[in-house]
Amino acid sequence: MFEIDWRGLLLPFAYLVVLGGTFMTFSTVYRKRKALQSANLAPWFGPHLQRNIYLSLLHMEPEEGQEKAPKVPESVIRAALLRRAVEDIHRIIQIRTAKTACSSLLQRGSVGDDLWQRFQRAEKEMEDELRDVVMEANAIVPGWGQIIFQSANEIAANKAFRDRLDEIEEQTEREKEWWEKRRASIKNEFMKELEEEEKSQAKAGSEDEPVLVETSTPSATPSGSSKKKKGGKK
Amino acid sequence: MGAEYAYDEEGYLWPFFVFTLTLIITVPLTFLLVKRSRDPAASLQRIQTSFKHAHTDTVDALRKRDKRKDRKLWLILAVITGWAVIGYMLYLIQTTEAPTQKLWNPYDILNIPESATEKQIKSTYKKLSLKFHPDKAKPDPSKNETMDDLNARYVEISKAYQALTDEDVRNNYIMYGNPDGKQGYSINIALPKVIVSDGNGKYVVLLYSALFGVLLPYLVGSWWYGTLRRSKEGVLMESANRLFREYKDNIDEGGVVAALSTGKEFEELFKGDKSDSGLSKVESRIFAEGALSPLAGGLSVKDKERLENLDSGPQRKALALLWAYLGRIELDDPTLEKAKFAVAPIAHALNKSFTAISLAYMNTGPLLASYYASQNLIQAMPPKSSPLLQLPYFTPAVVKAVEGDSRIHTSIQAFMDRPDAKRRSLVVGKGLLTDEQYREAVGVAKQLPFLRVAKAFFKVTGERFIIPSSLVTLVVKGRFVPPGSENVPEVNPADLEDIDPAEDDLDAILGRKTKKQIGKDEKTGKPIMEESAGSDEPILAPLAAAPYFARDHSPRWNVFLTDSKQGRVAVPPFTFAQFDKPIFEQDGRTPTFAMQTLKAQFQAPPHAGHYTFVMHVVCDSYVGFDTKMEVTLIVEEAEKAAKMAVEDEISEPEEDSLAGIMNAAKGGAPPQPKKRKPQKEEEEEESDEESGTDDEDDDTSATNTDTEPEN
Repeated sequence: MFEIDWRGLLLPFAYLVVLGGTFMTFSTVYRKRKALQSANLAPWFGPHLQRNIYLSLLHMEPEEGQEKAPKVPESVIRAALLRRAVEDIHRIIQIRTAKTACSSLLQRGSVGDDLWQRFQRAEKEMEDELRDVVMEANAIVPGWGQIIFQSANEIAANKAFRDRLDEIEEQTEREKEWWEKRRASIKNEFMKELEEEEKSQAKAGSEDEPVLVETSTPSATPSGSSKKKKGGKK
Repeated sequence: MGAEYAYDEEGYLWPFFVFTLTLIITVPLTFLLVKRSRDPAASLQRIQTSFKHAHTDTVDALRKRDKRKDRKLWLILAVITGWAVIGYMLYLIQTTEAPTQKLWNPYDILNIPESATEKQIKSTYKKLSLKFHPDKAKPDPSKNETMDDLNARYVEISKAYQALTDEDVRNNYIMYGNPDGKQGYSINIALPKVIVSDGNGKYVVLLYSALFGVLLPYLVGSWWYGTLRRSKEGVLMESANRLFREYKDNIDEGGVVAALSTGKEFEELFKGDKSDSGLSKVESRIFAEGALSPLAGGLSVKDKERLENLDSGPQRKALALLWAYLGRIELDDPTLEKAKFAVAPIAHALNKSFTAISLAYMNTGPLLASYYASQNLIQAMPPKSSPLLQLPYFTPAVVKAVEGDSRIHTSIQAFMDRPDAKRRSLVVGKGLLTDEQYREAVGVAKQLPFLRVAKAFFKVTGERFIIPSSLVTLVVKGRFVPPGSENVPEVNPADLEDIDPAEDDLDAILGRKTKKQIGKDEKTGKPIMEESAGSDEPILAPLAAAPYFARDHSPRWNVFLTDSKQGRVAVPPFTFAQFDKPIFEQDGRTPTFAMQTLKAQFQAPPHAGHYTFVMHVVCDSYVGFDTKMEVTLIVEEAEKAAKMAVEDEISEPEEDSLAGIMNAAKGGAPPQPKKRKPQKEEEEEESDEESGTDDEDDDTSATNTDTEPEN
């Protein structure tokens, strides 16, 4: 009854096929590229040195020609785990502080989407890492998992404090040096004034002073002042 | 009689269509082009100086190249084509004769004026019918007339007559424009017939699919990926991501400079072997012993380590060149010199992104470091170096002659506050400045826009007290007092007030610019308006005096509040680049000392109490022009504030209404009767004192000439 004009329908079908085909190709290519991109994202943190040390200590391979792997003392393992926890603390602090900043910047369009992806991946990795550390700690000493991060936190805080102290103490030498130079130059100026006053009078006087004046001649001052610039840094 | 759709066969309509379409596209593009090609910096004031350093030409060439980059070839082409098309269409419209369709007008047919009375109409009709009745008139062979023409003419005449006299016909005429009633009409589509004629169909389809299948997706795609490519601050997204990674809570200016060198922009600048060429030379120069700092580049030992730890590549070269730029180090190589001056504007653009990032962390240290890095980049000075280096001809030797061995840097303000003879004796001499150079330097210093803050306080518009969570305005009053200005007038206490606009003064409340009423004409009661010379245009500070920076930069001031105890930013920065009063007189040299008002609104804390903030006013272009002062925000309990307000207002309503009546009697418009004004000011001041927003610090800074700059 119905004569279907297949040839006439060819065009609409071709249209549909082309349309569908285009969409399919586009979406597969797009997805593949996206997946490749996210797979190639650089990790947020660098290699976890402390964890690597700990793991290599735990799984010591026997040396060649020897049957048994060298025995690692328990205390060394525990110290390595603690170091690992300290590093984790650093990383977790970094992640916590960066989180709000990163999300607000992302909303404003100041940073890119892939940064946020990397960030989220790092966050997830850190969660797993923390769980792992707790489990390891419990395996070594039952109950240690509850307090290992507490002690790690204290260690981290102490370390930060010490670093700051060292930084300040480092400056003392330079400050001292600068002050010596400055004092010398001031002294030098005074001595000059004195000398000029004394010039009119007879030459007489101090024994040790001339040496000082000679050492801190103006040629010494430039380096002195350049040191001071350095020390001027707060 | 149906509607008929027809394509434009005669070709008189589609030119209109194309003309309109092209006009819609071309006019905005032309506007864009004109706006772009007009140099916005040209109209701005500049600091007048004839100072030239060894590489002024290089810097100028870079500046020019940057401006040229803004001009886009496609835009010029598009605009030219657009106007050409418009011109052609106008020509077509002019030359093509449109088929005339005259409106049927009975008056014209009867040849009478439209004001004709019925009597006139009748008599005219009679005359005409006598003359033109087919029975009477004979066809005129000379005019090539036939009997039909005569008939038709007579029918027309009688129709016209009926239209003017017969009720029904007249109605038809009024409603449809024709005495016969509704006419069939045709609608013409303003497209040429060519596009639907046989054989052209496939081309039209091709064009259509090219337009919608190729061009549209391409445009949308390029726009979308374009927005993804660059961050809001206009740097490459990848650079912004790297900067985010480089952020550290304890970063200093040197660290910011190192962070900026990670920008992807530098990778594009130093492609291929450009990344290593001359690197060792640059490094040896910046690590040489400097006159003012241990290293000539002005970098600290930490910065040096940072640089040496980098793999050689674009980043290392960018960082080395940045330090060479900051230390103003001579590289003796035109290519390297050019690169040295080219990296600074890029770093400055990246720094905007870094500022946004450090702002997201809300820590004061990195934010300030970022601002200081911006100052250093614009002025080509190493971090923590003497502000005096900003003055022309000031070499490290000159700076040392001024500062001696002191470790506290002399600011330009302090230097210029010294008596002329004294500062001249310090800097003029052999190996230092010549007399001429000294005059030039002082001339420039006297034009630098140093914003001296006179007062800063908080208020809530229309309220006397600041209650929790209200919208507080931070009002900063200050004057531009260039260093070394003489005869600075005293601060007028009236200028320090910030008077709320009256409640019925809508213009002021909505922020519209109006002339300020300064008085009232006694007789007529008309308000006398203040003469505001060019106050409609926002006033910008002169372009930053930055002879080494290869961009024109308009200085900006950032005002923000920090919590000094926690080292956090309490109120994020408000940026001011425009001011309400002129900074310099017409000659561009003489300061006006006009009181500028900077206002920033933010939300008050949700709890009552005293909040002490440190207010920073940081200029992004000049070193040592920053102001740091303590301000206290007093937030009162809502109930207490309401009670105090009621107690104070007991006697007010009567006066208020009296004033209102007087005001109305005088004829009304002026919102503030003169009489009441002093009292209002008094109130304002009182509330300021009560809320204690202007503490000692502010008061001293109002009179003291040198507001302690931060550092």
